[in-house]
Amino acid sequence: MRPVPAGAAVATAALLLAACGSAADATGTGGSSPDGGTEAGGQTVRLWLNGEDTPQEMVDYAVAEFEAAHPGVTVEFERQQWTGLVEKLTTSLSSNDSPDVVELGNTQAQAFEAAGALHDLTDKKEELGGDDLLTSLVEAGTYDDRFYGVPYYAGARVVFYRTDHFEEAGLEVPTTLEEFQAAGAALKQANADVPGYSGIFFPGKYWYAALPFVWESGGEIAVQDGDTWDAQLSSPGSVEGLRQVQQIMATASGAPVDGDESQDYLAFCNGEVGMLMGPGWKIGQIVNEDDGCPELEGSIGAFPLPGSEPGTTAPAFLGGSNLAVSAGSEDPELAYELVKVLTSDGYQEQFAELGLLPAKVSLLEGVGGSEAAEAQAAAAANSRFVPSSERWAGVEASTVLPDMLVAIAGGADVEAEAARADEAIEALLNG
Amino acid sequence: MPVSTPVVPGTASPVPGAPPGRRRPARSARSGGPALPYLLLLPATVVLGAMLAWPLVRLVLLSVREFGLAQQFGQPAAFVGLDNYARILDDPQFWAVLGRTVAFCGVTVALTMVLGTLVALLMDALGRGLRLLVGIGLMLAWAMPPVSATIVWQWVFDTRYGLVNYLLTASGAGDFRGHSWLADPVSFVAVAALVVVWMGVPFVAFTLYAGLTQVPREVLEAAQIDGAGPWRRFRSVTVPYLRPLLAILTALSVLWNFRVFTPVYVLQAAGGSARDTNLVGVFAYRISIGENRFDVGAAVAVVMVVLTLALTAVYLRQMARQEDV
Repeated sequence: MRPVPAGAAVATAALLLAACGSAADATGTGGSSPDGGTEAGGQTVRLWLNGEDTPQEMVDYAVAEFEAAHPGVTVEFERQQWTGLVEKLTTSLSSNDSPDVVELGNTQAQAFEAAGALHDLTDKKEELGGDDLLTSLVEAGTYDDRFYGVPYYAGARVVFYRTDHFEEAGLEVPTTLEEFQAAGAALKQANADVPGYSGIFFPGKYWYAALPFVWESGGEIAVQDGDTWDAQLSSPGSVEGLRQVQQIMATASGAPVDGDESQDYLAFCNGEVGMLMGPGWKIGQIVNEDDGCPELEGSIGAFPLPGSEPGTTAPAFLGGSNLAVSAGSEDPELAYELVKVLTSDGYQEQFAELGLLPAKVSLLEGVGGSEAAEAQAAAAANSRFVPSSERWAGVEASTVLPDMLVAIAGGADVEAEAARADEAIEALLNG
Repeated sequence: MPVSTPVVPGTASPVPGAPPGRRRPARSARSGGPALPYLLLLPATVVLGAMLAWPLVRLVLLSVREFGLAQQFGQPAAFVGLDNYARILDDPQFWAVLGRTVAFCGVTVALTMVLGTLVALLMDALGRGLRLLVGIGLMLAWAMPPVSATIVWQWVFDTRYGLVNYLLTASGAGDFRGHSWLADPVSFVAVAALVVVWMGVPFVAFTLYAGLTQVPREVLEAAQIDGAGPWRRFRSVTVPYLRPLLAILTALSVLWNFRVFTPVYVLQAAGGSARDTNLVGVFAYRISIGENRFDVGAAVAVVMVVLTLALTAVYLRQMARQEDV
């Protein structure tokens, strides 16, 4: 249900680090009015952002910008948790005490757009950036040709690796998917003395990481045919990709077949991992001082997941967030003004420094400075997204994809499992 | 101890004997003003109705309408009759989930009752200090929030760093490094059952221990003099005294374990395959909240309520019958 960087719920530590300068005043609900005296009779705009993906100093910046431009208006800021967000939005957006501006995970947005929970911003699209906005986030924000969800930030997965393990095993950075798989298997063999070592850490439930293999070999999750969805996981291309995943899990991974990726940085820090696939901010989580391993900082490299031909990248799953104005907002025009601040260049550029991608193509050039950031920008340039349906949230909630992968990781027949998943996905997407 | 012998038949008569004496004044009050008792019942009925009946009515109403996210945001909810029920009854997954839940409930209730009774007997037999120690241990297990308890057990059974795998490997029982207890549906459900029983035993043990202190020592002594061994004394003296308690505890455990949610949901997040390990409580949640099919989820919940009532009715009736005897 959570989008990729959103999956960051666990990665809060990493981002808190980045925000360390002002962490002391990050009290969580910083409803603030800097000049203090303007509250009498003033209007308020309620802003909800999720997790720690947006650090407090960025919120403070946006609040200050907005309140300077709109004297007498106070921004009431509340931080929500990614876990349980859909439930919370379902009840709060339909109540008469709805927040004005909310952040939605890009895989969650369409359900609320279809339900009529969000304010139509179609005529504001050009003003917000138009074609400069990241296409796949615009797709997530569009339902029935109407534009509701404004791209907020994005993230794509890249491969992080132990440079020292590569050196010891005499390996080079792989340039094709085949080399990637071979490098993983070679690492696992070279480190056979480490119990549970993974050349490529690939736990069974990690479906975000399995999608690039499906896409690269020409497969898809589902395609739309008129009004109905046709699930494609059992198509020849998808099956080929899933077989590759199964092989990696069997030959290169030592991760739990039914586990997920949330604790992967701990295994990485224990020296049990050669490569792992993770969003750009994962590096921050790995080297966090609380339960990570800052001492490894110098021996971690990053590259985008390669494609089947040298010099190409495999399509990455693009995660991210959209901002929306609630349909129940008392003053949608004012709420929109706040959205404008949150998507302004000055604000968006700060995301790049955090290892997230700004929501505008023109700002992607500003992403750089680190290997991880550059790898992410390269991966995002060739990125794909889940089927664009308001019922997709149901597919995630029913755990069809992780269940299929857990079975595949356990050695089950790929074609049979894919056919079974297709049936479930079609039932869910077609209602 | 010649005194103890007549007590045995005597214990049966005072209990049924007492109520008739008390009932008489009640009857005369009724003849005085027939409306008064009902009037006095009214406040409690209103409170119970608002707190219990109304949500249930809402649930039933929801289950016969089309109600998804769009309806939550104001679109009219069409009446669809029993369509939602037809949908779940047609779904083979629902039947699999239901069968799994009934089996899970049966096994965990049996284990909880047996272990709870054994712990209660242990407490009864222990000296003061040790009993206090056992009591504190039970209290701590009972006071632990279900989510925390499940997460601790999940760590114990963790694939990579779990205590169980470590101990099994160290004790030479085989190579359990990297063994996933949650990957196989059967061992997944076994771990979930362990958590549920672990959380359920303290309440049963405390209640039965309180019941045990009420079993007259004279009767047990008399039975012992008559030559009854420990098992015979337990079966023929202790259990009859505890029967109403046992019935209520079993009914309550059935209620709780049938709709168990937290352990299964938390363990599914940690490992295993949700498809093969859903119990009906989690299943209803995934449909309502995850898929936003509040209508179908409500239908599952109604079926759950009916089944729970049916399961517990058996015990409650049995209990009522025993009081008549």
